[in-house]
Amino acid sequence: MTFRQARYDEPLVWELSPPSEGAPGPSVPGLPEKLRRKKALRWPELSELEVVRHYTRLSQMNFGIDTSAYPLGSCTMKYNPKVSEAVARRRTAAELHPEQPVETVQGALEILWRLETALGKITGFPEVSLQPAAGAHGEFAALLMVRAYFRDRGELGRRTEVLLPDTAHGTNPASAAMAGFTTREIPSKDGCVDLEALRAAVSDRTAAFMLTNPNTAGLFESQIVEIAETVHGAGGLLYYDGANLNAILGVTNPGRMGFDVAHLNLHKTFATPHGGGGPGAGVLGAGELLAPYLPVPRVVKKGRRFALDYDRPKSIGKIKSGYGNFGLDLRAYVFLLSHGEEGLRAVSRRSVLNANYLGQRLGRHLPRPFRPLVKHEFLLSGAPLKARGVRTLDLAKRLLDEGYHAPTVYFPALVEEALMIEFPETESRRELDGFADAFERAVTDTPENLHAAPRNLSVGRVDEVRAARDLHLSWKDLRERPPKP
Amino acid sequence: MLNVARWIPGGAADETAMLRELGLADAEELFSDVPKKVRLGRMGVGAPKEELEVLRYVDKILDRNKPYSKFSNFLGGRVTTPFSPAALDAILSRSEFYTSYTPYQPEASQGMLQTLFEFQSLWVELTGADAANASLYDGATAAGEALLLCRRVHEGSRFLLPASLPWEEKSVLRNYAAGLPVRFEEIPYDPRTGRLDTEWVKTEVARGDVFGLLADLPNGFGVLDEGLPDLKAILGSVPLVIAADPLALSVVEPPAAWGADVVVGEGQGFGMAPSFGGPLLGLFACQKEHLRLAPGRIVGATADATGRRAFTLTLQTREQHIRRSRATSNICTNESLLALGFVVYATLVGPRGLAELQTRLTEKARTLASALGGLEGLQAPRFEAPYLSSFAVGVTRGGVGEFLDRLRAKKVLGGVPLSDPRPGAPASEPLLLASVSESLEERDLQRYVSAARGALAAVRGSP
Repeated sequence: MTFRQARYDEPLVWELSPPSEGAPGPSVPGLPEKLRRKKALRWPELSELEVVRHYTRLSQMNFGIDTSAYPLGSCTMKYNPKVSEAVARRRTAAELHPEQPVETVQGALEILWRLETALGKITGFPEVSLQPAAGAHGEFAALLMVRAYFRDRGELGRRTEVLLPDTAHGTNPASAAMAGFTTREIPSKDGCVDLEALRAAVSDRTAAFMLTNPNTAGLFESQIVEIAETVHGAGGLLYYDGANLNAILGVTNPGRMGFDVAHLNLHKTFATPHGGGGPGAGVLGAGELLAPYLPVPRVVKKGRRFALDYDRPKSIGKIKSGYGNFGLDLRAYVFLLSHGEEGLRAVSRRSVLNANYLGQRLGRHLPRPFRPLVKHEFLLSGAPLKARGVRTLDLAKRLLDEGYHAPTVYFPALVEEALMIEFPETESRRELDGFADAFERAVTDTPENLHAAPRNLSVGRVDEVRAARDLHLSWKDLRERPPKP
Repeated sequence: MLNVARWIPGGAADETAMLRELGLADAEELFSDVPKKVRLGRMGVGAPKEELEVLRYVDKILDRNKPYSKFSNFLGGRVTTPFSPAALDAILSRSEFYTSYTPYQPEASQGMLQTLFEFQSLWVELTGADAANASLYDGATAAGEALLLCRRVHEGSRFLLPASLPWEEKSVLRNYAAGLPVRFEEIPYDPRTGRLDTEWVKTEVARGDVFGLLADLPNGFGVLDEGLPDLKAILGSVPLVIAADPLALSVVEPPAAWGADVVVGEGQGFGMAPSFGGPLLGLFACQKEHLRLAPGRIVGATADATGRRAFTLTLQTREQHIRRSRATSNICTNESLLALGFVVYATLVGPRGLAELQTRLTEKARTLASALGGLEGLQAPRFEAPYLSSFAVGVTRGGVGEFLDRLRAKKVLGGVPLSDPRPGAPASEPLLLASVSESLEERDLQRYVSAARGALAAVRGSP
């Protein structure tokens, strides 16, 4: 496919109409002189058309799922149904203040309650909370619940360690550290948890073991029952990172696998848009042990009415304002309702089929480090390209020129020059074949062309080193220290 | 054929062909690595629904909501109910923006990166700080991250925060600090003015072991505290965090100009509907010396291979995907789309428009406060201090809950109760926060006043 991204010389917004500096600030009734702005806010005055044209042009210099497929491993970049957008914009959904009396938000509470109930069935947990704003936020909240649990048992002084495999998402160790735990990596064997290493590592210091299943190598941790027994046997808790849930809907679930607590990302499995980096929506699912510690309020049903229950004495309290990202929860609920049981099973079946199909095709070009049967994503190693002076990064940039977003690269770290590829169920076979052809063209291209990529986007290869060395993070920086040409 | 085929293309034919390529007879073989012991039966989540059915079903539920726009609405605080210009949603609906991923591939994402650079620039202009990040989850978690930053840059175990801070934010702060040995000390407020007791702060800072102080502007009572610019002199090297309302900053001297080390805020009120409290927008800026320990994604300007101006995520070695357990925060997904909304709204309204809006809201709030203040049984405003769009009302006759219930019966959402709803929470003054928004008209204010008069009379009349 010939792909050309829009390439405007689009100025920064203040360059469209440079504002004057130093105009006096406005006078607001009652505002004390000591607090009054001495100089008015420096920002351009533009017409509506100028604003609309500026940001529309910028949008055209951006990949989105509606224009390009995103084979990003562990990110589950599936189509975001338009019906969900329409519903989230209803006045009956958008024009609700979180502090409205519960009598006036019965519908919103019902949506939250129904979604929590359905997610409980999907994950196998008795209680679910939608309060986290994103996946990592859910991880953090879950680990605070783990802390509170061990504090109640008088074991917090001892259980200070969170274990995780070396394939864990970066958020896992970061969340554990934020929650006050030390972290320890368990080496993998053939891409999965090395059970012997785990057995040797667990102890009465173990608070939790954090695991993604299927893991970031795309492999199902088939020894999950033994893993759960090992962690529980040492008195620790098992944490499920639900980033990869898309592979196992209706096949298995974290509750059945023996996990005690989990987070999910509605912006992955349940198709809410990524928004260029957010908002997402996180979900907490908890088994019997940890359910009392979930954030307040809990949405409860009393007869035919819905209410917010703050009477949870063991609760960790609040982890954000409001009750979660309701606008996203609603989109996810629409997705879930549309699919139903049969559809959700088809989601996993097809996403796994896509990964295996594409894995087999691309495996002709680059080595696949582990066993061929994968779940929703697979790994390739770009290491053989190094002999030609080509890096995985070059291949990623070259794929952009073909109109595909790059795969996840250089993760997980246990695979040299890793490429991690996931095509969710919403991508057609034709798109997979198109990507495979593009990949073949890219991987067989000359080193010169690969190094020169991308050529067809709004800019060429971006100098990230220079950005970090000579920091310009705002208009103020550009004014005070104009970048050297 | 499955009726959600519209979202899973190709149907059984493609599936069969793909399985054949793999040498598999049945899709079930794809799951042979999942042990029998953990396999599921049915989940019990119902049958699939067509789009029209889904809309009917969901609308029936949503119709049980009564949007605030159906009332004379005085709810506000950190989350507000702004008017949203149509052009804003037109931009937010550009699917190149809203369906895009985090701009880790800068060449494919210049639109979002430039927008985020503009957003950071705007928050820098509003706060006077040296640098801003590309957003956090909401104002409360931004304050939590600010606390963690303070602890990284300053020794100590005590963190000072206003007793008047909304309970929800206190709870979030406690959770963000749960992994550290932190003691929270609540700064008393002057019962007459609602302002921070700066003498108390002086004493506590002198006692030592303080690693940070957070103050909000306006505070949880809506009060604009003239004492805030004096705090930095008291704190010395102890970092000062200001949680500021962005619209207020269009008329208030930028906090970094009077000593704030970190300025956080809630940005949803820039034209974005509250959506029952989420998504929101966490704003975060700090001074240069703290930048490398700051949380979240940051966009920087640079150039491409040909020297053309370009933007990219930078200082990523602070972040979880690189630094893992030693990252400055665990945050990954943030609120980029709302950051886009924030900068688009501000640009549509313009700097003069923002200041004029804040002025109009302040005038409206003062009109309401003075009318309510004339009623026996209410103290409005409760505190003798300046305020902007919100002010505290003391309910001295009957309870806050009863008062608000009676207002609601007259189609008035009278404000946000300022008490911690958790059983066993310490009793607090009977206060509510009344806020005005752009869409309120004169008759809405009148309706509030007459409903309040009726509510108070009913309390007096009841046994």
